[in-house]
Amino acid sequence: MIRHIIRKEFMDMVRDGRFRWCAALVGVLLLVSLGTGWVQARNAQKELTAAQATARDHWESQGEKNPHSAAHYGVYAFKPRLALSFVDEGVDSYTGTSVLLEAHRQNDFLLRPAQDATPAQRIGALTAAQVLQHLVPLLIILLTFGALAGERERGTLRQLLATGVERLELALGKALGVAAALALLLIPAALVWAAAIVMGSPGPAASPVIRGAVLAGVYLVYFATFIGLSLAVSARAPSARTALVVLLAIWVVNGLVAPRVAVDLSKWLYPTPSAVEFAQTLGKEMADGVGGIVRPDRAESTQELLDEYNLENVEDLPINAIGVFLQKSEEFGNQIFDRNYGALWNAFERQGYVHEALAVTAPLLAVRTLSMGLAGTDVEQHRHFAAAAEQYRRELVQRLNVDMTENSRTGEVYLAAADLWSQMPPFRYDAPTVGWVLRNRALSLLLMGLWLAGAFVAVTVAVRRAEVA
Amino acid sequence: METGPVSRMKHESEVATVDAPQKQAAAADGTSTPVLEARSLSKRYGELEAVAGLDLRVEPSEIYCLLGPNGAGKTTTIHLFLGFLEPTSGSVHVMGLDVADEPLKSKNHLAYIPEQVMLYRNLSGLENLAYFAALGGKESLSPDRLTEILVEAGLQTEAVHSRVSEYSKGMRQKVGIAIAIAKDADALLLDEPTSGLDPQASNEFSELLERLKERGVAVLMATHDLFRAKESGTRIGIMQHGRLVVEMTTDEIGHADLERIYLDHMHE
Repeated sequence: MIRHIIRKEFMDMVRDGRFRWCAALVGVLLLVSLGTGWVQARNAQKELTAAQATARDHWESQGEKNPHSAAHYGVYAFKPRLALSFVDEGVDSYTGTSVLLEAHRQNDFLLRPAQDATPAQRIGALTAAQVLQHLVPLLIILLTFGALAGERERGTLRQLLATGVERLELALGKALGVAAALALLLIPAALVWAAAIVMGSPGPAASPVIRGAVLAGVYLVYFATFIGLSLAVSARAPSARTALVVLLAIWVVNGLVAPRVAVDLSKWLYPTPSAVEFAQTLGKEMADGVGGIVRPDRAESTQELLDEYNLENVEDLPINAIGVFLQKSEEFGNQIFDRNYGALWNAFERQGYVHEALAVTAPLLAVRTLSMGLAGTDVEQHRHFAAAAEQYRRELVQRLNVDMTENSRTGEVYLAAADLWSQMPPFRYDAPTVGWVLRNRALSLLLMGLWLAGAFVAVTVAVRRAEVA
Repeated sequence: METGPVSRMKHESEVATVDAPQKQAAAADGTSTPVLEARSLSKRYGELEAVAGLDLRVEPSEIYCLLGPNGAGKTTTIHLFLGFLEPTSGSVHVMGLDVADEPLKSKNHLAYIPEQVMLYRNLSGLENLAYFAALGGKESLSPDRLTEILVEAGLQTEAVHSRVSEYSKGMRQKVGIAIAIAKDADALLLDEPTSGLDPQASNEFSELLERLKERGVAVLMATHDLFRAKESGTRIGIMQHGRLVVEMTTDEIGHADLERIYLDHMHE
């Protein structure tokens, strides 16, 4: 029996000109945003790959040079674009995708598209994730607000129920009918999605197929939740117009109010300093030290070495005291960085928890978190990359300091051989696994599941209690 | 308002049919389970008593017409049989099944035609019929058979494949009748089915009811149409303020008598 309901709902919808126009509009937007997103991501990855090769080439072509000068010259690390970044660019536009790794400094990230965007681009940019998170639910609302309320108003509901059809079966049939109509625009999008992953992931293979499948599943759960909620409201609303108003209110809360509240509330609960304040604090602590972190003194460092070697003149030291001091300074700076950046990242992490927890009020917050996570463009994965880049910076600078320390004497002009730079291993970054992402986003997964279950319960109760006339 | 005791005239359901002889025989000796039965049925909305202590039996091949003014409780009674409303007290039974306990099974025995048959505008008459028939458990009916049923219900053949958005009210009503025929139910619940139909369509509808009666179908019809009730009905009940105030068989009275009795009760 249910197939008849699905078939009828599908036929009824596709023969409705309003549906055709809305679906065509959303479908085209989805395909265009997927296509342009993929092209942009691919181009960006090509540029990053080329820039990475150029940067490495410059690094290796430094010729004879003092290692500490080379450490200041620095090397760039580029965050790879994962396969699904074309679906959801997440925070990459704001956090940047490359960083200069050099001595004494933990630099800010560069290449932030949001900085270069024109005002029109800032307003008009539409990603596939935004279409999936905002426009598809809106289409679902337009398809379902009258599913039961409209039938009741028209008088067809009592005729339907008089046939002996079970109410839940009717609701399930209607839900699947809407799903079948949605499939008309989602299947082409899914094909583009799959083709983009299979034909050429723009980034390294961090389980792109699994990530893509899980992300598709997340969106399907999101859509199913909206279908359930819409049917529940339609079943209980006194009229189709009321159902539409209520559902649009839900859509506004879900898509506009809750994200805004989440941003403000998380920042209020876990405030973070402005960029200027952060830089000032960092500069002050780097100059003066803080707490038990004491800035090393060059004379003391030298004296410690003389004591260690039981010598009186620094020229007699078998190693370069300046190299040792530079490494001590580096380690001092690292402690300051760990202290400040650690606090900043922890604040971001807590803000993220607030975002995730507030998904209890709006499923979009959970979907957005999962979408960015699986696309590899969330704050957590930016942190993961930043930590790897910083670790590499420290190891690189340490190697250079050790080279200077061990291969020169204090006071002499030391130029390392030209082949030293190529002996330094290039920066390699392994993106987190899907398991890592999902473990980090367990709360969002749980809340998505609860939303789906809640929508199912709501539609079950609402349809059972729905007035017939 | 005092409505007085229900005036019961003798019920004679003696019209034998070829298709349902056993049901007819059982009904005649009063030992059968009625197709439709209300027992001390009441439905209250706050202070308003829409149906009050209604006792009603409709046997196979019987066309029971419920007459009464607006608000008398006719539609509420039909909705109670359909399980759309829960009785405040008493019970309704379809083929012996308590509607409250067996809402779906009881509906399997029922077909329903409302005052305004509403259909899906984007589907054709045939597609609408196929859909409602399938939901009513008649999934195996072929398009040819469904077309025959639509034509039997009075729809012109060329209109069968047209979208319902192009149908008149009368044409929609005929699709509603076809839905009832296709279900092949034991009982037919009609709520002002001829309202808005032209005389020819009303006559065709009466003929259809006659055919259904011959098949042993029990019909409960709420109507304002005294003429149609006398012509088509086998038994008439007049409701007022939720109570059944008069019950009579149609062969006991003439048109004039029915009109007089009806008006007398309306002016009480």
